Amino acid sequence: MLSNPLALIAEITHRCPLHCVYCSNPIELASAKAELPKDDWLRVFFEAAKLGVLHVHLTGGEPLARTDLHDLIAGAHHAGLYTNLITSGIGISRERLKELVDAGLDHIQLSFQDSGAAQANWIAGTKSHARKIELAGWIKEHRIAFTANLVVHRQNLDHLEEMISFLEGLRPDRIEIAHTQYYGWALKNRAALMPARAQVDNAVKIVASAAERLKGKIRIDTVVADYYARYPKPCMGGWGRQLILIDPAGRALPCHAAGVIPELTFDNVRERSLEWIWRESGAFQKFRGESWMPEPCRSCERRSEDFGGCRCQALLLTGDASATDPACSLAPSHLVIELALLEVPIDTASVAPKGEWIYRVSPK
Amino acid sequence: MAGLLDSSKPRLAPGCRWGGAEAARVVLFPEGAIRVQGTGQRILELCDGDRTFSELIAQLQQEYSEADAIVIRADACRFLEQLREKRIVDF
Repeated sequence: MLSNPLALIAEITHRCPLHCVYCSNPIELASAKAELPKDDWLRVFFEAAKLGVLHVHLTGGEPLARTDLHDLIAGAHHAGLYTNLITSGIGISRERLKELVDAGLDHIQLSFQDSGAAQANWIAGTKSHARKIELAGWIKEHRIAFTANLVVHRQNLDHLEEMISFLEGLRPDRIEIAHTQYYGWALKNRAALMPARAQVDNAVKIVASAAERLKGKIRIDTVVADYYARYPKPCMGGWGRQLILIDPAGRALPCHAAGVIPELTFDNVRERSLEWIWRESGAFQKFRGESWMPEPCRSCERRSEDFGGCRCQALLLTGDASATDPACSLAPSHLVIELALLEVPIDTASVAPKGEWIYRVSPK
Repeated sequence: MAGLLDSSKPRLAPGCRWGGAEAARVVLFPEGAIRVQGTGQRILELCDGDRTFSELIAQLQQEYSEADAIVIRADACRFLEQLREKRIVDF
């Protein structure tokens, strides 16, 4: 039997003041003109709550770029959803934050690029670090949950301990340490971002000891470096199993990168109800369950834990979205991962010269 | 970290709140939810930030008068300390 979706990821805009070299948005960004209007979003929030969704994650781009964000939060809250704002923190004043909290904001997830301003601004391609620290202080004036998010990679992993103590000082309830995932923009910068194995192994130890030390005070969650893992990540908790993502134009996707898979067509919430999409949309049915799985997934005892891994990564690295995620050590195509790792310099002191980055550019 | 005292005033932690349908109440928190029912639900409903732990226990003993008072106290204490570890309750 088909279960209910638990969370709605509302990608309300692709506009963003940051230019992060590992941006997780799709290569093709939606323009401001194509964005779904407020009233459609409010209807979607009610449909989501009716369908059993508990959480809405308002993300982007930078969700603060939408001037009607207050109304979107109020609408989602009114529908009964738990509201999470995933933000770079650029575009908010102390007053605007208070308005959003008053509208029903439950949780704010603020991204950091590094502990030091110069390094952080270099990754983000904009001067944003100091403003994030200021916002962290304002967040603590309210009784809402606060997650500090940090994306890690080759260029910053050597001072992970320093970055964790920096984040601790902001007094979040939760710290999320996410290894860069290589689809979308990050794949373009993979050579400069891919950590060395020693960095990944060291990070595991540092995170485990921080989690133990901060137990009961700050919760630490992680997103693993799947190129170095033995088995793939359970991407999105299984395709069309727990999550619905609505992109800025109103298209419903099973994950934020699914647009790269050419054989999929996406239904739009302007034309279809969320319930219809969840049950009937071809894109959601395509990799739902186990019948699409090739060997070795089909007979693998881990298939109900990792669901064959990430479909987008399979497409990007093997050309076939139905293949076993090449990050899995059992995948026939695993060699593409091994080959990519062969190119990773062991010397972690090397830092990419500025010319090697390709910064992300915001849509109009 | 200090344990739960008689004078502690437990309440839902920042960013944690009730949600879900009336028949299936859940406590929502960042990235998750827990289903609570029966005594667990009742204990959490009593965690309003005003009531002290000893008042909460007195209330529970009244409502569950057939249960052993010492057991009620020990169970409630363990329940709340575990939820604090998960950052769902603070006191």
